[in-house]
Amino acid sequence: MASTTFGVYDAHQDNSKQAQWRADKWMIAGTLLMGTGVLGIFGLPLFFYGLHLQIQAGKAGLSVRPLIVTLIGYLVIIDSSLNSLGWAMDLFANHSLINRVLTAGWGAVFDGGYFWHYNELTVGPYAVGGAGAPGEKGWEISLILGCFCPRLAAAIGLLQMKRWGQQWLIVTCWMGVIVWIGYNLNMTFYADVRYANITFPVWGWWIYDIFYITPFLSLPYLHTVNREIFTD
Amino acid sequence: MSKNEISEQDRRRKKALIVFQVLLYSYLLGLFLFQLHLYSLSDW
Repeated sequence: MASTTFGVYDAHQDNSKQAQWRADKWMIAGTLLMGTGVLGIFGLPLFFYGLHLQIQAGKAGLSVRPLIVTLIGYLVIIDSSLNSLGWAMDLFANHSLINRVLTAGWGAVFDGGYFWHYNELTVGPYAVGGAGAPGEKGWEISLILGCFCPRLAAAIGLLQMKRWGQQWLIVTCWMGVIVWIGYNLNMTFYADVRYANITFPVWGWWIYDIFYITPFLSLPYLHTVNREIFTD
Repeated sequence: MSKNEISEQDRRRKKALIVFQVLLYSYLLGLFLFQLHLYSLSDW
């Protein structure tokens, strides 16, 4: 009798794991595409299909990840990827065609720091290139290394329902407070550089970036969620 | 500590974090409005 009961439990666990992985494969594929920025539009339907699979599995009574954890985890992966990839290109691939078209093109519309005098930055005799706006390179390097890459790892840990994933997501959400207080203040002080002679000064940047200015929104949930659902 | 006490603590914690966010977004809104003010003064 006991073995039969465990057999049913094990089968339920196996089915749940399989259903979660099936949904995750679609969501991972969609997120990878959206994380590139350029291919984002192709990633969105794949992500939604995976999300649909997970919701269906939950309705069928299988033990899948809470929906809110799935949404926060994948959203953070996309946010971290877009920032890391975009800024890594500005740092290391600033003369590539894709960067000169997309980053400088984006700069011409929203942020003059990525358009005017683009690829003219030097440090002493050394050519650096990319955005030359005051302070920008400091933000790029420190946030890729100190915030967005750890945040990407934390989001993967959260999706795996690991305790360290939840804890590190909280840590990097609080980093987001420093990031957005400081970055926007820097933009305000150098508004003449960032907004002069571009297509949509001020409001264009804010509409575009409001999506990114959300890391703290999940703090009330992350601080009060039942910690027992995450494993050590 | 009973379960109720924990949830009461969590309730207050959540409230405090929401108040904190309202302050933070107010600050950001302030920066946005100040930038619009700069825009109105300049010839961008």
